[in-house]
Parts: sequence; structure tokens; C-alpha cells
Amino acid sequence: MTVRRVLIFAPILLILVLLQSYFWVPTYEQQTKGSPARLAGYIAGSIGDASLLNPILSADSASSSINDMVFEGLIDRDEQLRFRGRLAKSWEIFEDALFYVNPSARIPGLGKADAHTLADFIKHAQKTTRIKDPALKDSLNRITDIFVLPSRTFTVSKSFKDSNTGKEKTMIIRVAAPPRIKLVLNTVDQDLFQNLTHLLGEDYFESFHGKDYLKSDAQLSKEQLAAYTQELIPAVEHNPILLFHLRPGVKFHDGHLVEADDVRFTYEAIMNPKNLSPRISDYEPVKTVEVIDPLTVKIVYKRLYSPAIGTWGMGILPEHLLNSQALKKEATRLGKDLKTFSIRSSSFNRKPVGCGPFKFQNWKSDQYIILDRFDDYWDGPPNYQRYVFRIIPDLLTQEMEFYAGTIDSYGVQPHQVERLEKDPRFQNFSGVAFGYTYIGYNMRRKPFDDPRVRRALGMAIDVEKIIKYVLYGQGESITGPFVKQTDYYNHAIKPLVYDPKGALKLLAAAGWKRNKAGRLEKNGKPFKFTLITNSGNDLRKAILAIAQDAWKQIGIDVNTDLLEWSVFIQERVNKADFDALILGWQMGIEPDLYQIWHSSQTNPYQLNFVGYKNKEADDLIIKIRQEYNHNRQIEFSHRLHEIIAGEQPYTFLYVGKWTAVLDKRIVIKTVDDTGAIRHEKITPTKTGDYSFYFNKWIKLPKAPDFMNEG
Amino acid sequence: MLSFIGRSVVQKTITLFFVSIVSFLIIHLAPGSPSQVDPMNPKFTPEMVERFQKEFHLDKPLYIQYIYFYQDLFTGKTVSWKDNQSVLKKIWERFLNSLPLFVVGTLITWTLSFPVGIRSAIFRGGIYDRSATFISYVLISIPGFFFAYVLIIFVVTYFHVPVIGMETFGIGDAPATYLFMDRIWHLVLPSMLGATGGIAVLSRYVRSQMLEVEGQDYIRTARAKGLPAEQVHYKHALRNALLPFVTMFGLILPGLIGGSVIIESIFSWPGMGRMAYEAVLARDYPIILTVNFVSAVLVLAGTFISDLLYLVVDPRIRL
Amino acid sequence: MNMVEKKLSNDFYIESPLPPKRTRMQEFQRHFGQNRLAILGLFIFILFFCCAVTGLFLTSGSRPIFDPAMVRLQEKLRPPLAKPNLDSLQPQEVPALGVYLMGTDDLGRDVFARMLQGAWVSLTVGFVAVGISVLIGIFMGGIAGYFGQHHIRTDHILFTLALILGTGLVIVNYTFIGIVIILLCLAYIFYSCLARHESTEKETPVLKAVLHSNAVSVDTLIMRIVDIMLCFPSFFLILTVVALLPASIYNIMIVIGLTSWMGTTRFVRAEFLSLREQDFVAAAKALGLSNFRIIFRHIMPNAIAPVLVSATIGIASAILTEAGLSFLGFGVPPPHATWGNILSNGKNFIFDAPWLTFIPGVAILIVVLSFNLFGEGLRDVMNPKLRERH
Repeated sequence: MTVRRVLIFAPILLILVLLQSYFWVPTYEQQTKGSPARLAGYIAGSIGDASLLNPILSADSASSSINDMVFEGLIDRDEQLRFRGRLAKSWEIFEDALFYVNPSARIPGLGKADAHTLADFIKHAQKTTRIKDPALKDSLNRITDIFVLPSRTFTVSKSFKDSNTGKEKTMIIRVAAPPRIKLVLNTVDQDLFQNLTHLLGEDYFESFHGKDYLKSDAQLSKEQLAAYTQELIPAVEHNPILLFHLRPGVKFHDGHLVEADDVRFTYEAIMNPKNLSPRISDYEPVKTVEVIDPLTVKIVYKRLYSPAIGTWGMGILPEHLLNSQALKKEATRLGKDLKTFSIRSSSFNRKPVGCGPFKFQNWKSDQYIILDRFDDYWDGPPNYQRYVFRIIPDLLTQEMEFYAGTIDSYGVQPHQVERLEKDPRFQNFSGVAFGYTYIGYNMRRKPFDDPRVRRALGMAIDVEKIIKYVLYGQGESITGPFVKQTDYYNHAIKPLVYDPKGALKLLAAAGWKRNKAGRLEKNGKPFKFTLITNSGNDLRKAILAIAQDAWKQIGIDVNTDLLEWSVFIQERVNKADFDALILGWQMGIEPDLYQIWHSSQTNPYQLNFVGYKNKEADDLIIKIRQEYNHNRQIEFSHRLHEIIAGEQPYTFLYVGKWTAVLDKRIVIKTVDDTGAIRHEKITPTKTGDYSFYFNKWIKLPKAPDFMNEG
Repeated sequence: MLSFIGRSVVQKTITLFFVSIVSFLIIHLAPGSPSQVDPMNPKFTPEMVERFQKEFHLDKPLYIQYIYFYQDLFTGKTVSWKDNQSVLKKIWERFLNSLPLFVVGTLITWTLSFPVGIRSAIFRGGIYDRSATFISYVLISIPGFFFAYVLIIFVVTYFHVPVIGMETFGIGDAPATYLFMDRIWHLVLPSMLGATGGIAVLSRYVRSQMLEVEGQDYIRTARAKGLPAEQVHYKHALRNALLPFVTMFGLILPGLIGGSVIIESIFSWPGMGRMAYEAVLARDYPIILTVNFVSAVLVLAGTFISDLLYLVVDPRIRL
Repeated sequence: MNMVEKKLSNDFYIESPLPPKRTRMQEFQRHFGQNRLAILGLFIFILFFCCAVTGLFLTSGSRPIFDPAMVRLQEKLRPPLAKPNLDSLQPQEVPALGVYLMGTDDLGRDVFARMLQGAWVSLTVGFVAVGISVLIGIFMGGIAGYFGQHHIRTDHILFTLALILGTGLVIVNYTFIGIVIILLCLAYIFYSCLARHESTEKETPVLKAVLHSNAVSVDTLIMRIVDIMLCFPSFFLILTVVALLPASIYNIMIVIGLTSWMGTTRFVRAEFLSLREQDFVAAAKALGLSNFRIIFRHIMPNAIAPVLVSATIGIASAILTEAGLSFLGFGVPPPHATWGNILSNGKNFIFDAPWLTFIPGVAILIVVLSFNLFGEGLRDVMNPKLRERH
């Protein structure tokens, strides 16, 4: 019967057609099936989409991982975390040191002196052998040139708020500055003026009264006067200078040459208040950026600022695409308001042009971002033809796509690590992250103003338990604010021991006693507060539960609250409206703690939201910022670490470990001078960065033997 | 015939009109007005909210908004609030993505249900029939998302092939045959999952229709004449049992949108269902309303077609 | 005498209808008993019902026996039947049975306790949603089937519209005009009620004729409403409404109920239409029984069987729908467990803790299956026509 046969064969045929397609699909083992180009592409999976592809504007990690590929900075750090030149071939660091001639001071062996005599005196001192003090001698030897700047008068107008009426007012300050002496140094010498006092007399610089040279039409308070004096005619001034020599012939992806003007433009774009760059604080100490010639750029700083050089890893923007003419053109084309149109609103941020190893190709929101190899890359083009950033919001889907071979890497969750490490198909890398998680206490509120209470709270929490059960061992305890891998971290400090009884003793010393019901109270008031964190982070949620439970055990009544991220930040953190919170910091390598720990940063919207204030810590933070000597920086950092660990403004919990899992077929491929190709296993650098040689990576059709040897 | 068509077109238009009103009311009367679009977004200043409201006529009374909305819809000017793209264009794009899923799913359902159902009817009460019945109940009862994950994990862990999405990601510029087969492969799981419920229901229906026809006198006559059993089943019985299925052709149309929300979300399939789901999450009212409207049109068109087909195939019906 | 008597009784015996050998109930039991799948379904259904009810008591209150919210992080992702690690637990944290019957989830919560809590959610969602839809369905279907031929007059439509308009105006703060309109409507209703008794003789003016003209029959109206409701893609409609409303289990029940009454309406109407023409209804009418009594005492018991069947199957699909919504992250707010959200939370751990996916998945499957089997069994038994053909 035909009908019957048709009825039976039709579904069989259909199912066969559908199922046979399996044999055409690339499997994990044979990813090249049908498309050999697959091996030349690297697909990274991500939970979230990028926001702005512009290094000066973006602050999220998805955007910066793309920006690192598309843009290139002047310098970066090598395997040992030392600086190495990228767009800058080489750089020099030196200094202009300035001081005002103090006509009233008596110089030993010279008496009162005017500018020229003083200059000659210093020049003479350089040559003479009479000086025994080695530090002074060093400092003098560093001086390469001495100039006398003639006296000058200038006026500045300042606006201020009248304390009586509360109105904005402007006043004019006339400055009649005395002559000044400029010392050109061949390096940065932070102790120069300290050492010069041995030559010029102990109080030569201190006895210079700047305020005598100021005249104002308005009545100034003492503090105002001091502030303006410090600003307008400081007795001494360090002007560290960075001179970058750019690499010739480096091109942007559109073929335009990278020149000094682009560097200056990038700086100006960051400082332009219209752009609202989150990087502004890094560049605030910059005084000027001068273009000497197309391949030389000179950056002068207002004051000693040791993290300065590190900030120039910032990706360089192409001026010709973003300068005011280009923006004006774009604004008119789009019919937007010229006044409000800034780099932030430009379409550049969705199709960026940089000079990094990969050039932007395509961005489909919430789906993928495709980058192509930049063949004219100055350091030789990468091995991969294509870099794809694929957005998969679901964790499980990510994992399965990884198993199916359609993504090459993804953010491995702690609970998956153990299983994936055992899988013979993958190689894995792990390392300690650059950030830590903590519980912060609002020190403006009682009882958190008492360090004993904070310490006791920390002692009641079993951090080891958190690391073991919440992180599956993917973490380490931490005792202070520095990155654990760096020298700045003080390993001599022991973490708080889990000791609820000790905690109770400390609390008793602070006046908190257990009542009949077992609750802690002081003067009849129970110990009660609210611990908050943001929702959407399972780890923090788990810590919230653990901390609440741990504190309940010692008789503290803790409420908890999970808040949506923007509410959490805007309403609670920025306004310092909380008792205690759980949060994490992502740290840089530089030991600069100014924003998070300095007492001047405790206002609303600033990052020292716990309100930590300590005189000695403040001094150390400033000193670390200005210290150019690595060993002394370490010394200061260790002391600072000790102070903070002693005061426990945070309960430092842990620093997470990351694990990256890659297919074993991904290796490093190098071509030597003879044209012979060599494959090597990917090895992480000393600092744990496994993707340092990413540009040399390639995927092979089959895992090479050396990968399976272990 | 013509008067029937005319009458039902008028009737369906009126129904459509009411559907449009009801869906508009549902959306706009629900708490949380669209004026609060993304209040968490710090970039959304009050001025922008106001401008936004003006741009989309949200400051007008409801009936004016209604008129504006459908005016825009019919002139093709409606835009999504989320990305300012034309809604019709977006829907068309997503529709084309959903279409293969729908076609393959329907093919599987219809080709598979008939042999299964007929066999059950012929051997009714037997072990085959009973197990087929039980399996179809299981298929109806299994939660789609659970089944989907079980299948995906089974395939991925044992065969190491990608199943998510419309094609293997990064397949790039493979030869056309590979691309085609790859797409077919990606259709297999989602369309099978979409078809499970359909197969179960339809095969049960085929079975009961066959049983009904097999009890009729003319079948008894055919048997009595001594015709071979096969001929009785497949020629006399089947042909008459087929009648009601002709009309069901029209009713599968709405399946294009409704049933695919969960399957498409799980498989990251950029189809209509997923778009609708994303629109719901983003409170993108123009898309929600348009999807609703389009699916209402599909339902009405489906019933209309099935009425017509009935008219054509069943000589007893004369309207 | 004896003979006569015997003859008489014999006659009588022949004339009188045979009493059924078995009562309806017995017949039902016999047929149902033959359908082993349906028995199985019923059995599981009763089991599930008991679980859900006891679960409600065991998991609620301030100190529940099974605490579905108790977090024990150190005991996370323990497999089913694992013994708790007593050293690391406080006495009050030890699970009630001394064993994690169904393992623990990613926060160390006892899955068994959560499943118990979720069973109650599934049960209530199923029953309440279907209850709502059946009530609406019977009401609408009954009206359409029984009073279908009655026509709605133009003035009825007009003042209904006016009433709605008035209420709407009151809601949007035009209180005065709204109240005036509502009062006018009420006055009109009052007037027309009075007028009904004395109208007949006078000539009707044109306006009145227009107002009293028949616009649409009740049946058509209800069936059009059903058509309109059928135009919405049901899952998408539910999803939309649930997403727009604040998350709550009651909203889900109501929304599912309000969007699934159309089927019931249709066949209740069909039943009513055919039953209305039956002799016993005509007899009841002839006896002068009230409509109310005819509907509820005579027609309804005969029409209820298919409603029950479809309600059973409706419960199954309501449970599935709720699970789907929970899976997509809508519906019951998180700390409260439902089978759908246990599954959707657990799926991220499917390779490490497959039980978190399989236990709720299989539980949903079994419960839905039992309802379906039971419902189909009921249908078979209650519909003799179907039965004979097997």
C-alpha cells in the first residue's frame, strides 16, 4: 500500500535528514570541520556586554578587556611588572626644582644674597670639594643647570563663597613674586631641598613668607591666605618631568600616524570636564603636556607624584577622529546640540579606532563584538586572525558552549574549578586576584568608632570557613589594603584568628556585656545594627548570611539587607548611610591608597566612605605617593599596612583566586629568524598573568604531545 | 460562499479591533507606568523622562495614545523604545528566524503523529497502544524547560557538539553545504522539543478519529466484502478520518509566536518568542503590543483558513 | 389465585423497567477500576495532595520542623541521602530526619524542605487558578447556553457603557461627572423596571423603539468575548501581565484563571444547548420550576462531568505554566521555594549537583502526569460513547 509506505517513510526520512546533519557539525574535537578559519579565531565568553569602547571613559571590565585589544598605551608592564615601552620607545624622568629667593634669610658663609649671587654660590658649591655631606653632594651632582627667573607681578581672580551672605564673590589677588631659581636635575630628587638646607641654612625655605607678596582687595581669613600662598607662591616646588620618545611609524587602524599630538589630546580629553572621565584623578597632578616634536612629548607635573609613569599605560586616542572639528561635524550630521555634544556622545565609542593589535570590526549589542587582526601592528601582528567577544548571559549556557568548543574561555565559577581541572582536555591556570572582599564599618557611627569593637567583630567571623565552603578553596585570607603579590604587602602581619571568646573579651573591655538573654548590651542598649550588600553577587550574599550568623552567636543582633546595585551605591555608600557593608575593591599594582584611605576623602561620593581618619596613615599615604625610592616606598607601605591592620576599619576577608581553563590545543607559536615555527606551552608569567603573550597564541588542530606530558 | 467570506472578514475585523483595545488597556493600566522607564539609570534625568514621554505621546490621554499607536503601526512607523528601531522590521527579522523552527517542528509533528496514531488505533488495547498512550501522556506532562536542559546536556556531554543558537558560533566562512547542515543540526533539538507536545496531542487525536471511523457501517461493509485489512484501514478508514485534520492546518499558524518563549530563551534562539520575552523584561510596550496584535491576526487568519478548508473539503457543509 | 397473582406479577415484571444491575457509582467504579493508569494517577494525586498539606504545616511557622530557608553553607551541594556533618552544625541546624533526603542546594538549604514548601505552591496555584477559570467558564457558558436566545437591547448596552465610563471617570478623579453619570444610569434602570409593568398599550415613540431594539443576542456576545480572549497567545499574555504586576503568587493564580476559562465556557454552553432541549428540562419547565432551579438542579449535574475532566487537565497545565513562569524568574518572590525556581536556581549546578535539576523536574513531571492520566481516565469513564469503542 502506497499510503502506508508513505506514512511510514516520511517521518523516517525526515528524522534521518535531521540527524545526519550531526556529521557535518564541528565537534569539540574537530572544530575545523567545515571551517578551518575556526582555529584562527579566539572566542571569549562574557556575562555582560561592553558599555563604551573608549579607554578614557569606560570603567567596566567588559569594556576594558576590549579596549586593551584595540588601544595601546605609551608603556605597559612586562612579565616582571617592570615598565616597558609600547608606543613610547623610551622615556626619561627628570625634574625642574624651583624655589623663591628669600632675601631676608642669612646664608652661612654668604649672608643675605640676591638671586644671581645665590645661583653662583650653588654653582660654586658643585665644584668645590669642601662639602663633606654625601647626601648634599649627591643632590648637587644631580643639578645640570641653574637658571634665575626674574621677579614678576601678576594678578589672579578667585571666586569664593562669602561666609556671611553665602553669595558667590570674586576677588582679585595681586602677586608680586620675588625672583626665583630653577634647578634642572637629571633625575627626580625628592630630598633636594632637604639637602640644600645644609648649604643654604636650616630655615632658608621655611622662613620664606609667601604671604608678604600677596595683596588682595578682600578680607581674607588666615586659612584662606595660607591656602592661596601655598598655591600661588610656594617656597619650593618640584616639577617632575616625563619625556616620552615615541616609536616612529606606528599607525592607527585607519592608517594615520600616531604622534605626540595624540598623546596631548588624550590627556586633554580626560581632563575635559564635559567628558566626565573616571580617570581624571590620575592626571590631576599634571601641570602641562607639551609637544616638543611629533615624536617627543614632555609631561610636567605640579608636584612629586610617584605613580605618574604608571598612568601612561592609558590607551591613546586618535586626535584626528575626536578633536573639536570632528565632533562638530558629527554633531551637525546627527542634528545634536553642539554645546552638549562631547566625546561621550560620539559614535566613536561604538566603533573605536586605536593602534592596538586588533582592530574593531563589528559590535552587535548583547550578542558579540568582533575584532580583527591589525596587520600593520608595530610589534608584529598577532597569530590569531580574529578575536570575538561573545556575550552569553547564562552561566550554564556558557559552560556548555565551552564544552562544545564554541567559546575558548569563560569566567569559571569556583564550584566548577575542581571538575574542570581534572579534565584531560583542558589546561588551566590559576592565580591570586588583584582585589579583596571586606566588611567595612561606618566609623562615624557608634559603636564602630571603637577599634576594639571592630576587631572583635572581625574575630567572630571564621574567614577560613568562608574560603573553604563559599569559595571552594579558591581564595586566600588577606590582612591589609595592598595587593598580596606585590612587595608593598606586609606578610609579617598575621590575619585575625577566629576566636569568638576572645571577641567577647574585647567587647567586654569596650563595655559590651552579655545580658540574661545572652544578648550583648552596653548601658542597657543592645548591640544592634544592619549589614548590607548589593544583590546579584552570590558570594557576597553567602558572606552576608555567614556574618549574620557568626555575630548572632556572640549575641549581636544583626539585620541584613540586599540592595540593588545602583540603590546600594547611590543611596547608601555615596551618602555614607550604613552601619556595615560587604564590598570588594579591585586594586592596581601601584601602592597609592589616597582615594580609599586618606582622611580628606571621607566626604559624600568619595571612596573613603567608612570615614577612616588617622594622622599617621595620612602622612604615610602622601609620602608613598611622593616617594620615588622603591625601598622606602615599601617601608612606608609596610608601616601603613600595620596601622590599618591594627585599627581594623575593615574586616579584611579574602582575596579571591581566579582560574582560567583553556583547551590544550591553544599554545604559543613563535617564528624565529630562520622561519622555523616553534610551539610552546603557555606558561603564566611570574605574576600569574597567563594571557601576557596572547598575541602569540594560536589554536592547533590537535593538542601537541608536550601538552599531554603534564 | 462569497457572503460567508465577507461576513467572516467583517466579524474578524471587529474582533481584532476589540483585541487591540483590550491588549492596549492591559498594558497601560498595569501598575508601573512606562514613564518610569529605567528610573535606576542615573543618566535618565527628569527632563529626559519628560522628553521621552512627549516623544511617545505618553502625556496624552489613553484613547489618543491608542489612536497614535495604531496609526503608527499601520503606517509602519512604530519604533521600539529600547533601541529606536522600527518594530515591524525587527519583528520581520525575528519572524524569519522563527520560521524554520516552526516549519521543522510542524513537519515532525504531522509526519510522526499519523503513523503512531493509526497504528495505535489498529492495534487498540494492545501493548503498543498502551505504551504509546502512556508515552504521549508523559510527553504532554514533561516541563519543556526541564526536558530541554536534560537533552542539551546529554547531547553536549556525549557528542561534544554545539546546540545553542541558530548556528555554530564562529563557523564563519565554511562552504555552503556545511553551513546549511550546521543550521539543520541546530534546528533538531529545539524543533523536536517544540514538537513533543504536538506529537502527543495529535497522535491521540488521530487515534480517536480512526477509532470513530472504524466503528462506522461502511467500514464494516468493506470488511464484510473481504477487502484486505490494509486496504480497509488505509484507504477507506483513513481517508474519512482525515477530514477534521484539514481544518487543523489553519490552527497551527498561531503556534508561530505563543509556544516558543521558553524554548527560544533556553536555546538563545533569536526568534519572535525570545524577542517578546525580552520586550516584556524591558517593558518595551510597542513591541509587546505589536506582537500581541500580530498573533491575534494570525489566530484569526488561522480560524478563517480552517473554516474555508472545511467548506472546501466537506461537501455536507454549505453555508 | 396463585396463578393469577403470578401472572399479574409476571406482567408487572415485564412492564416495569429493569432496575439497573449496578448503580451508577458501581458502574463508574468498575470502568474506572479497569483503567490502571487512571488509578495510578488518582493514587499519585492523593499522595501529592497529602504531601502538600502536611508540607504546609511542616514548613511554615516560626520554628518549622523542616526549615526551607535554613542556610548551612558548609553543607552546600550535598547529594541526596547524605548524612549531615554533625560537627559543623548547630543543634538547631540539623535536618529533622537526620539526613538530607533530597540533598542540599547551593546555599546548603534542605531540598526536601523546599520541595515540600513548593508542593503547596503548585497545589494552590493549580486548584485556585482552575477554580477561577471553571467558575467563570460555567457562569459564562451557562448563560450563553441557557439564555442564549435572549437579546440584549440597545439601551442595555448604552447604559452599561455609561456605567463603565462613569466608574472610569471616578477612578481618574473626575469624581463629580462620574457620579452624575452613574446616578443617571441607576435612575434609568429604576425607571425601566417600573415601566415594564405598564408599558404595553401606548404607542412607542421612535426613540424608545430604537432603544429597545434588539442589538445582539447574549449567546453571540459571550461567544465573541470568547473569540477575543482566544486571540491572545496565552503564555505570552500571562507572562506580560505577571511581569507588569508586582510579584505575588496570587497574581499568578488570578492571571492563569482569567486567561483559561474559554474552553470551559465553550463546552458548558454546548452541554446546556443540548440539555435544554431534553425532555426532562421541558418537563421541569412545564412544572413551572424557576430557571434557577432548572439550571442548578437539573441541567448542571448532567453537564458537570466534562467540566470536571477539563478541570483536572487544567490543573495539570496550570502547574506547568506556574513552573514555566518561575523558571523564567517571574512569580513567587525568591526566598519562597517553588518547584520552578528550585529548578531554575539548580540548573547552574547541573554538572555538580544534578539532583537540583532532576528532583523538581521529575516531581513536576509526575504530578502533572498524574493529573493528566486521572483526567483522561475520568473522561473515558464518563463518556460512554468513547468507552464502547475501546
